[in-house]
Amino acid sequence: MKKKQQAERKKESDPEEKSIPAPLQLNASLEANLQEISKRIGQSSDVVFRRFTNESLSSLSLAFIYIDGLVNSEIINRNLLQPLMETFTLKSDSIATEAAFSMIKDQMLPVGGVKEGQTVESLLGLLFEGYTLILFDGIQRALAADTAGWEKRSINEPTSQGVIRGPKEGFTESMRTGTSMLRRRLKTSDLRIEEYKIGQRTQTGIALVYLNGLASESVLAEIRRRLNSINTDSILESNYIEEFIQDGGLTPFPTMQNTERPDAIAGGILEGQVGIIIDGTPFALLAPSTFFNFFQSSEDYYQRYDISSFLRLIRYSAFFVSMLLPALYIAVTTFHQEMLPTTLLISLAAQREGVPLPALAEALLMELTFDVLREAGVRMPRTIGPAISIVGALVLGQAAVQAGLVSAAMVIVVSFTAISNFVIPSLAIANSIRLIRFAMMLIAASLGLFGIMSSLIVLLIHMAGLRSFGVPYLSPMAPMTPRYLKDIFIRVPLWDMTTRPMTNLGKETRRQASNQKPKPQEDQQQQQNQQGGNSS
Amino acid sequence: MKEQKHCIHKLRCLLLLPLLSTLLSGCWDDRELSELGIASGSAYDWEDNQWKATYQIINPSSGASGMGGGGGGSSSSPPFLTFAVKGKTIIEAIQRTNLTSVRELFTSHSRISILGESVARRGVNQIIDLFLRKQDARDTVYVFIAKGNAGRILDQLMQLTKNQGAGIQLMIEQESKLLSYYPSVRMFELAMALSSESGSAVIPEIRLTGKDIMDETSETGRTDLPSRLVLGRLAVLKGEKMVGWLSQKQAFGLTFITSKIKMANISFATHPQTSDKIDGSFILQKSATTVHPIWAKDHFIMDVNIKGSGVITEIGSAMDLNDRASISQMEKSIENHVLELIENSWQTVKQLNADVTGFAVKIHRSDRKRWKQIKKDKSWDTVFQQIEIRPHVSIKIERMGLSNKSFKSIEQD
Repeated sequence: MKKKQQAERKKESDPEEKSIPAPLQLNASLEANLQEISKRIGQSSDVVFRRFTNESLSSLSLAFIYIDGLVNSEIINRNLLQPLMETFTLKSDSIATEAAFSMIKDQMLPVGGVKEGQTVESLLGLLFEGYTLILFDGIQRALAADTAGWEKRSINEPTSQGVIRGPKEGFTESMRTGTSMLRRRLKTSDLRIEEYKIGQRTQTGIALVYLNGLASESVLAEIRRRLNSINTDSILESNYIEEFIQDGGLTPFPTMQNTERPDAIAGGILEGQVGIIIDGTPFALLAPSTFFNFFQSSEDYYQRYDISSFLRLIRYSAFFVSMLLPALYIAVTTFHQEMLPTTLLISLAAQREGVPLPALAEALLMELTFDVLREAGVRMPRTIGPAISIVGALVLGQAAVQAGLVSAAMVIVVSFTAISNFVIPSLAIANSIRLIRFAMMLIAASLGLFGIMSSLIVLLIHMAGLRSFGVPYLSPMAPMTPRYLKDIFIRVPLWDMTTRPMTNLGKETRRQASNQKPKPQEDQQQQQNQQGGNSS
Repeated sequence: MKEQKHCIHKLRCLLLLPLLSTLLSGCWDDRELSELGIASGSAYDWEDNQWKATYQIINPSSGASGMGGGGGGSSSSPPFLTFAVKGKTIIEAIQRTNLTSVRELFTSHSRISILGESVARRGVNQIIDLFLRKQDARDTVYVFIAKGNAGRILDQLMQLTKNQGAGIQLMIEQESKLLSYYPSVRMFELAMALSSESGSAVIPEIRLTGKDIMDETSETGRTDLPSRLVLGRLAVLKGEKMVGWLSQKQAFGLTFITSKIKMANISFATHPQTSDKIDGSFILQKSATTVHPIWAKDHFIMDVNIKGSGVITEIGSAMDLNDRASISQMEKSIENHVLELIENSWQTVKQLNADVTGFAVKIHRSDRKRWKQIKKDKSWDTVFQQIEIRPHVSIKIERMGLSNKSFKSIEQD
């Protein structure tokens, strides 16, 4: 019943779909075809039409269409124009148009990708990807030669996710470059790259990258289904895809990761996740993602396990600090003063002596100021950036306190909260707690610690109910799978990580042999002897 | 269908409304820090058939924290303010503070509570009940007794700490840790002692060394204050009323009996056979007391066993510590000294007829039948009077310090 209703509604509210015409077959007349195409494209100045006849091919009329700027003109000149315009002697005097077509296709085009098209729509699609169309008079088919070549940004260090140790290359806006980077990292025949074109007007290329046999079939099927059901006219960035396909539309928590780092995507794919690379943005997606994935940084695996584990724990505490510190401050100073050590209470009271605002207003003011400054810092031209930090430091720090607007303790609270927010490696989850923080502050100001506790419980219930493409958001904590906890709160040494830390996503969970702890040679031999003795 | 969905949506909104209204109820008990008068100590007196409660309120802008906020307040303003109010009940007195105080009284951070002798003689039950019952009262406050007007004590400024209540707390904590003359008594410990089988308790006295009260900030600029706070005697309570005092020395003996020694210093005669001159110091570092009641036909004998060990820190006479005999001689002297303390203390306790030694608890635990009988006959007071104590002290000198001979013997050589 429900489905039917939905389908009905879809029909009603989708005028866009009706306006798309049925594919138009090519006409036999070159003139008519060219007219149709130029009518479709309009008077765009970057589309080049080139007509000529070749005497050698019984005066066959040909037309080239390509888009200047999307093609490599050197390839066109040398590999298309030159062989086709040359006069040569045929074995027979005249040749049928049909035969000339197949001869050109099979023998005369020294270009890698040559496709055949029969409808105007399919040819136009290829044209916009940098193909050069070759139309023939008298044939209802056309050729498209891959001559793509446009200006690309070269591979640079990722700007949003830097590392001290580890690969320094990031994805670029080109999807093809992205897939090539993954190919270079995963030299296995299991690597699968599926391509989609999404967006009626943008026709954005989207590559689904996964390891066959590792990625769960059900997750893949779900992702494919959701990708296929996207019906929109434009996909400009990975967030378009993310919002269209991620679970739990109204949750503040992200259920997909995004990253600029090919090594992070490769790492995810090796753990059974599915990577989604989107043409036009250096940010690729990883799904399914659990809550704990957002606290893992690829650098965790590039440095020693002890420091990585320590940093993990710091990140989790920073998460809670960033979410709760202002709320706790408000709750404790307005409801639970007895919980503070006396000296701290007195010093806080002394600082608040001249402050005109209640603690909540003070905290909101400072938090909002910080968010304004942060936003300004992002939008500012890079040259004025330092000015922002100076203004920020002065406004947030010294001046506000001296003016008696806020207390010094509140400045510490807000700054520490802000800094903690940057500790979390994933911007997606850091942003989500930025919002939760404000809700927490309001609740803390009205219900105190009781309110904070109850809203934490509500949050927990909400998170426990979330799923990312069928995977419980809090796994492997809830449901608990102790075997997979090796990479959650701490990171165990690599030689001990024999199973994949992701949950029951894929079929193959063992990733390496056990017993790989490095030992001196004698010990190893002894152990081998022992094992040999046991087995015999 | 559509309507049904609409209904569900509306229902959800309706269900959310009461959730939102819970937020409204929240703010009723919120208090900004600038509305709080943080009390650091309180004192209670009985005057003109009324309770007189004195409160010490911390003045945050005096720079008690070392850093002033934006608001005014010079460093010369006193670190705390006191005011006294009277009422027929204690709570009435507390509520009346609102007639005079700018800020709401906030007693959760109170550290000490001083009872005037007048209150202690009249009975402390009402105060204990208040501390156990009132939500923001803390039964972990340290209790003291002051002779005369207890409220006066709270006026005295202290050096090295601006928060006088916390200063007195530190004083008693340090004392009971390093000197062990008096036990530190918290409100709940007082309540427990009074409600135990013994029905008696002790409270240390706090008093001023001089006549004048130093209550002006300018006066604390001196290095040697003419008047400062000091711990005095030990008050003995029986039932809910105070029955008398134990001197410092007697209090020390009592600490031995009740096994509350943490660390103590004992001065003793190094050559007890030849002279009574007290010329040695011993630091008792460990001490444990076990008390065993023994029924001896018509009365109880309390077998008090004290075992202790420590270091010699001072010897004024000629002494060769290589000689084992001289060490045991000193041990003997210390033991006798402790015995004397205990005996002296016991005599006074017996006179006051208040079982602050906790013997009743021991008897109850070891001899239930007889205790039941005693309780039935209500004869504990007479039984207590007949108790005979047999103290055994064994002190071990574990270390003698860095020199094997006393300096006097080195000089004589």
